[in-house]
Amino acid sequence: MKDRLAAAVKQSRADYTEIRVERTWSSAVAFRGRRLETATVSEDQGGFVRVLNKGCGWGIASFTSLDELPAMVARATELSRAVRVDDPIRLADTRPEVGDAVLELDGDVRGVSLAEKKKLLDRYNGAMLAVSSQIVDTQSSYRDEVSEVWYVNSEGASLYQLRPEVVVSGTAIARRNGNIEKGLESIGLRKGWNSVQNFEPQFRVVAQRAVDLLEAPRVRGGAYPVILDNELAGVFIHEAFGHLSEADFVYENPQAREMMTLGRRFGKPVLNVGDNGAAKGLRGTLPYDDEGTPTQDTPLIKEGILVGRLHSRETAAKLGERPTGNARAISFRHPPIVRMTNTYIAPGKKGVGFNDLIQDLKLGVYACGAFGGQTMLENFSFTAGWGYMIRDGKVAELVKDVVLAGNLFKTLDRIDHIAGDFTWNQMGGGCGKGGQFPLPVTEGAPHVRIEEALIGGDV
Amino acid sequence: MIDRVLEAARAKVDGADALWRREEQTAVSFESGRLKAAAISEEAGLNLRVLASGRMGVAGTTAAKPDPAELVARARSSAELGEVVELTFPQAPGSQLPPIPTFFDRTANASLDDLIHMGRMLVERLARPDCQVNVAVQREVADTAVGNTAGARGQYRGTGIAVTADITRIAGDDVLMVYDQYVGADMPSDADLEALVRSVETRLTAALKIVAPPDGALPVVFTPAGLAAIVLPLEQALSGKTVLQGSSPLAGKIGEMLFDERLSIVDDPLTPGRPSSRPIDDECVPSRATGLVERGVVGRFVYDLETAARARTQSTGNGRRGIFGKPHIGYTNVLIRGTDGTAPLPSHALGGGLIGDIDDGLIVDDLIGVGQGNVISGAFSHPVGLAYRVQRGEITGRVKDAAVAGNAYDLLKRIGGFGTDGRWLGARYSPSLLLEGVSVASR
Repeated sequence: MKDRLAAAVKQSRADYTEIRVERTWSSAVAFRGRRLETATVSEDQGGFVRVLNKGCGWGIASFTSLDELPAMVARATELSRAVRVDDPIRLADTRPEVGDAVLELDGDVRGVSLAEKKKLLDRYNGAMLAVSSQIVDTQSSYRDEVSEVWYVNSEGASLYQLRPEVVVSGTAIARRNGNIEKGLESIGLRKGWNSVQNFEPQFRVVAQRAVDLLEAPRVRGGAYPVILDNELAGVFIHEAFGHLSEADFVYENPQAREMMTLGRRFGKPVLNVGDNGAAKGLRGTLPYDDEGTPTQDTPLIKEGILVGRLHSRETAAKLGERPTGNARAISFRHPPIVRMTNTYIAPGKKGVGFNDLIQDLKLGVYACGAFGGQTMLENFSFTAGWGYMIRDGKVAELVKDVVLAGNLFKTLDRIDHIAGDFTWNQMGGGCGKGGQFPLPVTEGAPHVRIEEALIGGDV
Repeated sequence: MIDRVLEAARAKVDGADALWRREEQTAVSFESGRLKAAAISEEAGLNLRVLASGRMGVAGTTAAKPDPAELVARARSSAELGEVVELTFPQAPGSQLPPIPTFFDRTANASLDDLIHMGRMLVERLARPDCQVNVAVQREVADTAVGNTAGARGQYRGTGIAVTADITRIAGDDVLMVYDQYVGADMPSDADLEALVRSVETRLTAALKIVAPPDGALPVVFTPAGLAAIVLPLEQALSGKTVLQGSSPLAGKIGEMLFDERLSIVDDPLTPGRPSSRPIDDECVPSRATGLVERGVVGRFVYDLETAARARTQSTGNGRRGIFGKPHIGYTNVLIRGTDGTAPLPSHALGGGLIGDIDDGLIVDDLIGVGQGNVISGAFSHPVGLAYRVQRGEITGRVKDAAVAGNAYDLLKRIGGFGTDGRWLGARYSPSLLLEGVSVASR
């Protein structure tokens, strides 16, 4: 396949040509309630061509018919030539990488029957349903894939990557009269069959929580000191800060660049943030990004000061910085754009735990788990799965509908304590940007305290 | 292709239906006012569903030359694990399919230069000092064919065009983003593009001044864009699937007046000029409109073949399928209207003419995080993405650092007013709605 791509690149009349071809084998099982929804095996395949010419913009073609490859290179070249630009697009120099990167399969999912996968999911789904008669519905899904990606460009890069993935998720829906609550468990790993066994207890816990939430009051809206658990702190740093550190947000925008000037203080000295696509064995991990650049650990905030950002080759060239291996595409249907990989808040002092963060709080909110998060530049929202009030330095009653709203700059600056209990949270789902969803990412953090944050809800 | 696959299936299974779709897209994008890229995409795929021994299985492929026997075999092994479903594939309709134009020559024939020209015009019209303008124009031509072993067949060719424009203005640490779009099956007229420019301008201008947000239970005008948080719970609850699962708060409520008596919501796949319109659904059911809420009364739930069979009712023609996975329920064009007898004069005024009597309240145009959380319960709580304060009947400026919360079902029981600004936003048509007693929290 590499030879076929190299031949097509060689024939290209464009100044720069890259071709990515993917073949993805996947299987999926889904339950809704006691009922099996689907059990399928799919094969998806296609190609992506992107070219540049002097004085011209990008010409892009994506397609499912690989026989058309040479024709698609020619069409991308025509498209590029139709896009006249005054300001030439440059790509930062990188060493053309050549090689094969085969990630560990940890039990090749292609060798496991669909019936066995159904049985596994049936167990997790059944574990949720068995918790209580108030669990009226569940949505459970198992999905695995093994994706082969070939990448060749006209600078000499030639890569083959084998990327496995497996995701098991379950939502338990509890109902009493008109009151409906849910609990969500999700495990997403860049591994295989062996890595998703024996998770029954976790699925039971979320179903029980959905039942407990039926009785829980809504949190009262207002400003509180808020402790984020590891999972929510991870979602927070991804949503609230990570997206602003993606250089495509600033590279064409002088005002944005000013706002995100390297050296600007973003937080107190306790705050250290980074993105590490090279971390071992995580869902957001890749040896190379979708422009063939090796991934790396990129510090973004060091002791409260902005020190870095995430780049593609184009954004790096524009800003005179180095590519960081963050150009990613969810599939051959899309161009690579600047994305996160494994984003983290680094742990605080060793030995500092959750209790140290709450002991001096008279009234606060402990926000746990994440149903999701969205950012609109300097404003963000994230929805906790559940929460507890903190009263007089202790965890008190369970509360629901905990939605944190905030302004990035104020909120980052109000992080005043970071515990030492760091964990990576490897969930399913993924990140969405520019119509590309879901991109596999991981978030990691310890418990984090925000001096004051706005919690939505009844007032 | 469909015929060959159905023929291969006929010998091996009790029944089958299939969808074949080929899509061609052409897109141009302007970043920060500059033309950056032109892209095409071509994708074709086939989705097959079979019934074997009463069990359902599916298989899909994007292979250029799919092997019918392999696809049928894969669908059969999927069916071996599948549930028993008493599903009947619709027969060829006795009459012709409803006439609905889905294909517009002007859209299909627009050249790359035409698309670039349209984008450039918008960029020039929207350019302002210290603002960044992004524009994207995307045109699609899609061929769809559906068929089943009961003899039904349908095929149509559709066009669609989406023009999106956003302006970002950063002043210090204040980030303001205003966005709008035109989506249609036919090319936008000059008036459509003018409306897009004016909509962005109006909302940008009113947002330049920042004012303190109010607090408390207040009247809030939700613009057509801001309404998503209110409509989403209803769309989920009106799906036959959630009703079957027992998770819909509207289950068992058909015929009951649960909403303001002027509120009507209809799903209409036969709306002229919309890219979601089509003569037949993805399961060979001829298209027709479904009244979801009629003058405040819960009308019908929407079904595909499978959920209809399980609920012992008829499909409403809301079957939708992709290349992979099984068919599912999908809305087509959702139209939200106030039926108080008077047809309002169209207006582009922000707030839809609903703010005159508001002493203190908000206009909400965008909320952050819609769709997260426990949507179907109707409870929502979101920080504002773009919202304006209304004082003594006038817009006084943009508010930041505020969150709105409430319950969609409760708020829609009494609607303070329907705006005169009814418009399409994607596949949804609605005016602004004035809702009373929305919880607004600031800091």
